[in-house]
Amino acid sequence: MKITKGKRFSGGTHIPDRKELTADIPIEIMPSPDIVAISLSQHIGKPSVPVVNAGDMVSVGQLIAAEGGFVGANVYSSVSGKVAAIEERYNPNGTKSNYIVIENDKNDWSAQPLPEMEDKTAGSILQRIRLAGIVGMGGAGFPAAVKLMPKQAVDCLIINGAECEPYLTCDYRLMKEKTDEIHTGIMLLAKALKVNKVYIGIERNKPDCIKAFSEYDDITVVDLKKRYPMGSEKHLIYSCTGRKVGLGKLPADAGAVVQNVATAYAVYEAVELNKPLYERVMTVSGKGIIHPKNLLVRNGTPLDMIITYCGGMRDDSAMMIAGGPMMGPTMLSSNLYTTKTTSGLLVTTSDEVDMSGPTPCINCGRCAEACPMRLQPMLIDFYAQANDFEKAAKYGGVKNCINCGTCAYVCPAKRSIVQSIMLSKKKLAEGGK
Amino acid sequence: MQKIIVSDTPHVRSKLTTKRIMLDVIIAIVPALVAGIVFFGGRAAFNVAIAVVSCCLTEWIWLLIKKVPVKDIFKKFDFTSIVTGLLLALSLPPLDYKYFYIPLLSGIFAVGVVKMLFGGTGKNVVNPAVTGRVFAFISFLGAMTSGWIQPAFGSISGEVVTGATVLTDMLAGVRPTLSNLDLFLGTGVTGCIGETSKVAILIGYIYLVVRRVIKWQWPVIVVGVTGLVGVLLNGCDFTLFLPYILSGGLIYGAVFMATDYVTSPANNLARYIYYVLMGVIIALLRKGTGIETVSFAILLMNLIVPLLSLHVRPRPFGSVPFGVLVKEKFAKLGKKGGKAE
Ligand code: SF4
Ligand code: SF4
Repeated sequence: MKITKGKRFSGGTHIPDRKELTADIPIEIMPSPDIVAISLSQHIGKPSVPVVNAGDMVSVGQLIAAEGGFVGANVYSSVSGKVAAIEERYNPNGTKSNYIVIENDKNDWSAQPLPEMEDKTAGSILQRIRLAGIVGMGGAGFPAAVKLMPKQAVDCLIINGAECEPYLTCDYRLMKEKTDEIHTGIMLLAKALKVNKVYIGIERNKPDCIKAFSEYDDITVVDLKKRYPMGSEKHLIYSCTGRKVGLGKLPADAGAVVQNVATAYAVYEAVELNKPLYERVMTVSGKGIIHPKNLLVRNGTPLDMIITYCGGMRDDSAMMIAGGPMMGPTMLSSNLYTTKTTSGLLVTTSDEVDMSGPTPCINCGRCAEACPMRLQPMLIDFYAQANDFEKAAKYGGVKNCINCGTCAYVCPAKRSIVQSIMLSKKKLAEGGK
Repeated sequence: MQKIIVSDTPHVRSKLTTKRIMLDVIIAIVPALVAGIVFFGGRAAFNVAIAVVSCCLTEWIWLLIKKVPVKDIFKKFDFTSIVTGLLLALSLPPLDYKYFYIPLLSGIFAVGVVKMLFGGTGKNVVNPAVTGRVFAFISFLGAMTSGWIQPAFGSISGEVVTGATVLTDMLAGVRPTLSNLDLFLGTGVTGCIGETSKVAILIGYIYLVVRRVIKWQWPVIVVGVTGLVGVLLNGCDFTLFLPYILSGGLIYGAVFMATDYVTSPANNLARYIYYVLMGVIIALLRKGTGIETVSFAILLMNLIVPLLSLHVRPRPFGSVPFGVLVKEKFAKLGKKGGKAE
């Protein structure tokens, strides 16, 4: 029984979590779709390299693309069937990448995917995590194995169970339904990282998970205040350990490595069940969805099939979002596919989302007060609008921004601050600085 | 099926809007407005009405001239001109009806020149209401300094103040005859329409704090610092502290004018420094001129806001702690010194 209270960071804000739509709905297995399109760029780093050709027959859990470099990840087939094509398709954020398109023969035929592990030493666990193509499943998709091999000495592992984005409940359901499995996965991660200090940070709106994890003696549960962006790595580390990650530094510089609960579950599956990562739990929610659900979906499942499976969309649906409403991009069509990092699909009605458009900034300072990085968002916005990106960096501090969107959330003038931030970052990067 | 929309993150926003904040400010002004009308009667109501109408009309006519469609003008109307009109009128003396052009012209000046010319809401450098008042003061000095009338309620202490205001007397070295209670309630106090009854302003202050429009510290710093410096400048007589802060337009200015978002620094660190400086300046100017100078002081301070907000910023989360930074500097200095030897 170890529960500690999270340390409070300055800034952040309370956001109505709207998780009640799906919080009590058990994870349901989505039937495998007729066709999947599996992205070769599901992670941060080099795109994976296909090891199959159009026309090949593949089985469930067969390696179809190998990591394209040290920071890369293997990709496995999520269905059995014939590779129809390897071609460019759209990603949810509007960019394009290569996809392996597979026609599902619905046999669900699976060869023994990964070999049995002989021993479970730190090295072999790491190897397995890498082999199984596991990436950070909380959002960014950074290859998990690379994160577990920091250049600096680290002394603690922090598991992110905050799930601070509104609507999303996939981590919550996973923690509730697969507590033991996640615990096993966490201990495997700790072993691979060679640390004994293990924290799991869970927001207070999930008291049952806090209680469930407090049963284990080898991890410390950190009871976190409900505050967005609690799930940000820097702020989670501070909440759990009181350590601050320096500006421009990595979490490992503060002696910590952060992994998400879904990642821990994937590690459990890879090590104990020899199953590579080819499916995940996601939340399908929003008032525009007829039957909101938590679904176990195969990698590459078309989003429109998911929507159809959840009873379709309401006529007054206004917006489709990949992921959560704070950081997830909106999508123009549902002709897109899930990846290892797809944690949510939201279809919202117009009364759920804000579409009022910006009015002039009244300099109220709410954005600066709410910014968890203590930046000056109104100055970033002002200078970005004036095309003076150097000043956006100098006075606004845009380079240290974590894109959390808290500033824009609280802004009474509904300024498009995040848009200004993205623009500034892009221009500054182009400027070679 | 409705049109599917794409937009930038975040897709959920707080319910708070600029309009709602301005509405809260208007609500907070109501007690002072009512007190002004009760104390000074028809003249007060007349002045307020003229100023508010003048401010709103100026904004609309300006936008019409700029060829903004009428539909948009109403959609975009964010109540700021109402706030400006109210604040301006309440900081004027209860002028006689024949001076109707004073609130009228100051309103036009406040909104037309100070706000719209600079680009509308959020773009003005100085506070429109404050500048409107200063404009009135400079342009119509005679009317502005002689229009005092006795309020409907006489003082509880039975004293009658004639001629100038309590503050000008006090600054001239005359001990105030009115009790602090009178000054607080506004009974028997001659002065500007909205400034006399401190209790009414206080109700507005509490409302603004509760609605989180302002932080409780903001006006407290201004009033506290002004009082302290004022006492120090006037012979360290601490019995003067209360009369000093309770008379004149200090509390009114601190609650409604100094807290204006647009013309104060947006980050709290700079804001606190701003208020301390403002307090010092008010007290200095009061001492130097012998008259109420709150609006002049606020106007002056408005001008240094851009400087403050750019150069006084909190350090980002995860910056090298200040102590460490200083230590490193010293360590470096030490090393350099060592090499030189
Ligand atoms: S998006 Fe950036 S500027 Fe805005 S609150 Fe988050 S860290 Fe601060
Ligand atoms: S919260 Fe919005 S209105 Fe207020 S200072 Fe920031 S950008 Fe301006």
